[in-house]
Amino acid sequence: MKKSRILATILILTLIALLPACKTTRKKPEELKQPAMEEPQPPVVEPPPAETVKPVEDFVKTDPEPAEEVLPADMDLLNQVVQEKGYIRDAYFNYDEATLDADAQAALSTSAAWLKGRDGTTYNVLIEGHCDERGTEQYNLALGDRRANTARDYLVTLGVDARRIRTVSYGEERPFDEGHHDGAWAKNRVAHLVLVR
Amino acid sequence: MIAKLFCVSLGRLPGYAVPRLPGCPVARSAGATPPGNRVTGIPGNLVLLLALLATPAFAQTKVQVEMDPSRATQVIRIAVPFPDLVPSTAPTSPSPVNATEVREGFFAPLTRDIAYSGIFAIAHLPPSVPVTSDLLKRTNAQYHLKLNVWNENDEYVVEARLIDASGATQLGKRYRSPVAALARTAHLLANELLKTLNGRPGVFLSQIAYASNRSGNWEIWLMDWDGANQRRITFHNALSILPSWSPDNERMVYTSFARGTSDMYIVHRRGGGRKRVSSGLSLNTSATFSPISNDIAFVGSVRGNPDIYLIKDDGTNLRQLTTSTSIESTPEWSPNGRQIAFTSGRSGTPQIYVMDAEGTNVRRISYDGNWNDDAVFSPDGEHVAYTSRVSGRFQIRISNLITGESRIVAGEGSNEQPTWSPDGQWIAFQSNRGGRWQIYRMRADGGDLLQLTEVGENKEPDWSKKPE
Repeated sequence: MKKSRILATILILTLIALLPACKTTRKKPEELKQPAMEEPQPPVVEPPPAETVKPVEDFVKTDPEPAEEVLPADMDLLNQVVQEKGYIRDAYFNYDEATLDADAQAALSTSAAWLKGRDGTTYNVLIEGHCDERGTEQYNLALGDRRANTARDYLVTLGVDARRIRTVSYGEERPFDEGHHDGAWAKNRVAHLVLVR
Repeated sequence: MIAKLFCVSLGRLPGYAVPRLPGCPVARSAGATPPGNRVTGIPGNLVLLLALLATPAFAQTKVQVEMDPSRATQVIRIAVPFPDLVPSTAPTSPSPVNATEVREGFFAPLTRDIAYSGIFAIAHLPPSVPVTSDLLKRTNAQYHLKLNVWNENDEYVVEARLIDASGATQLGKRYRSPVAALARTAHLLANELLKTLNGRPGVFLSQIAYASNRSGNWEIWLMDWDGANQRRITFHNALSILPSWSPDNERMVYTSFARGTSDMYIVHRRGGGRKRVSSGLSLNTSATFSPISNDIAFVGSVRGNPDIYLIKDDGTNLRQLTTSTSIESTPEWSPNGRQIAFTSGRSGTPQIYVMDAEGTNVRRISYDGNWNDDAVFSPDGEHVAYTSRVSGRFQIRISNLITGESRIVAGEGSNEQPTWSPDGQWIAFQSNRGGRWQIYRMRADGGDLLQLTEVGENKEPDWSKKPE
C-alpha cells in the first residue's frame, strides 16, 4: 500500500515536471489536457525510471479505492454497473402488494443516497413497476403502476427531487425471470430503478 | 321456387396482393400460416363426430365437429360437394381454374363456416364418386349446395345454388373476386346460407383483434373468425397490447409503450390513421370504446392510484368515474352503453363490479375466488364472462346477471381474457395450456374448441362488435 502511494506521488510529480516541458514542444493541446483532467488516473507518460518495473496498469489495479469513480457513459452498461456495485437497489414486493417492507425501504434508502450523491446527482431515474405472472394482465398493469409510485414517493421523502423521477408500469409483460416458480415470481414483483439522462 | 340470382362484385381494390391492405381479405400465404384447426375433446360432452372433408385431398383442412346431441336435433343436413371447375370458353381468359386455389381459398373456409354454423351438419360424400342426385338422396341431405367455379378476366366467379330435397332452388348467388378474396366470398356465401335457412347471418365476416409477439415485439394483429388471414396492424416496434374494437368495426384502441410510457392509440383496422389519445395521466391501459358515443373508458393513474376514466376519442373531456383509493382496472361497457363493468381491489382482492356509466350505483358481481378480472358483457347484456381463479389456475367464468348463477368453462392451463362473438354464440380467449399463450375459440357452453393461433405467442383477443 505505502509503496503504491509513494509510486503515485512520484508519478504525479513526474507529470507535473513533464507538463511545462511538453508545452515548450507545442504538442496538440488536447493531448496535454487529458492527464490533468483524468487525475488521479495515471497519465500516459513513461513510467518513472524507478527500480520497480511494474507497468502502470497493474499499479492502478492495486489501488482499491480510486478517489473518484469513472462510470460508463453507455447507459445500459451504467445501469448494470450501479446495480452490480449496489449503488442502486430495487424494491421487491410481496404477492399482490404494493407496500414497502423493511428490506425494500433499505434498498431504496441506498438508492436515494447514491442518487443524491456526487455521482448520482447528474442522472434522472425511471422506476418500472413489475408483477409476477400469477395475476391477470390488466389488473397487474395497474398494480405495477402503484408499486412504481410507492417507490417513487419513498425516494421523494428521502430527499430525491420528484422532478428527477418518472414511472412506468409493465405489469407482467416484461418478467425478469421467465420461470414459473416462487424464485422467479419473487424477482418479478419489483420496482426496478433505471438511471436515465 | 324462383331462383334468386344476384351478382356480387367484390370490387377491384388496388393492392389485393399486399398482405395488410385493408379490409381486403388476403391470401393465406401472407406470412400467416393457417391454424391447424385442432379440435380437442371436451370432457363431459357426448360427441357425434362428423368426418368432414374426408377425402385425402383435404387432409390439410380436415375438420371434426363435435356436436352436443341436444343441439343435433335442430341440425339441417346439407351436402356440399367440391365445386365443379368449369373450363373457360372465353378466349380472353385462357387461364385454367386452379383447383388448389379454389380448395384452399374458398372451399375450406366455406365448409369450416358451415360446419361451425351450429345449424348445419355436412353430409358425408364418398370421395371419388360422381355426385349424382341419387347419391345425394342416399345421404339423406335436406339441401344440396351446388357450386360452380370458373375464371373470367383473371377473377374467380363462384356460382352457388342451394337446392332443396324437392329440387327447387332456394338461393342463387354469384360472386366475383380475385384469388386473394376467395375466403371473403366463402364467408359471404356462408352468411347468406344462414340468413336463408335460419333468418339471420352468421359471424363469418367478423374479425378478432389480438396482440402477437411473432415479429419480435408485441404488436396488434387481426385475423378472421376462423383464424385465417392473420395480419399485422401496428408497427411500433415497441410493446403494444390490449386492442379493443370500435362499435362500427372500423377502428381499434390499444396501449403502446412506443414513447417509453404507456399511451392510448387509435388505429384504423386497415392500419392507417394512427393517432395518440393523450389523457395527461399515467397507465392509459384497458381502453374500450363506448357502444353508443365517442367516449373511451380506460384506466388512468395519478400518483399510483389507478381509476376508471372516460375521455372523448379526440382526447378531450376527461372525466373520472371512480375515486376509490384502491386499484381500479379493466373497464368494459355494457352493450347498451349504460353500464360499465370493472375490476377493483377495494375488498382486498381483485373482484368484478358494475356501475352506471356516470360512475354511480356501484355493485359487486363476483364472489367466487380471490382473483377475478377481464369482465365482458355478452351481446344480449344478460351474462358477464370473466377471468376467475379456481384452485390456483385461471378459468373463464360466465355469470348470469339476472339469476346471479355462474359456471366455469374452458379447461387445462390458465385461461384468460374472454371476448364474445357478436352473436353471443362463441367466446375467444387466451390459454397457455400448450405451454405458450395462444388464442382459442369455443362455444359459450365450452364446446367445439379450436386453437386459432400458433405462430409466436398470442393473447388479448377482442372480437369485432358487428357480425360483418
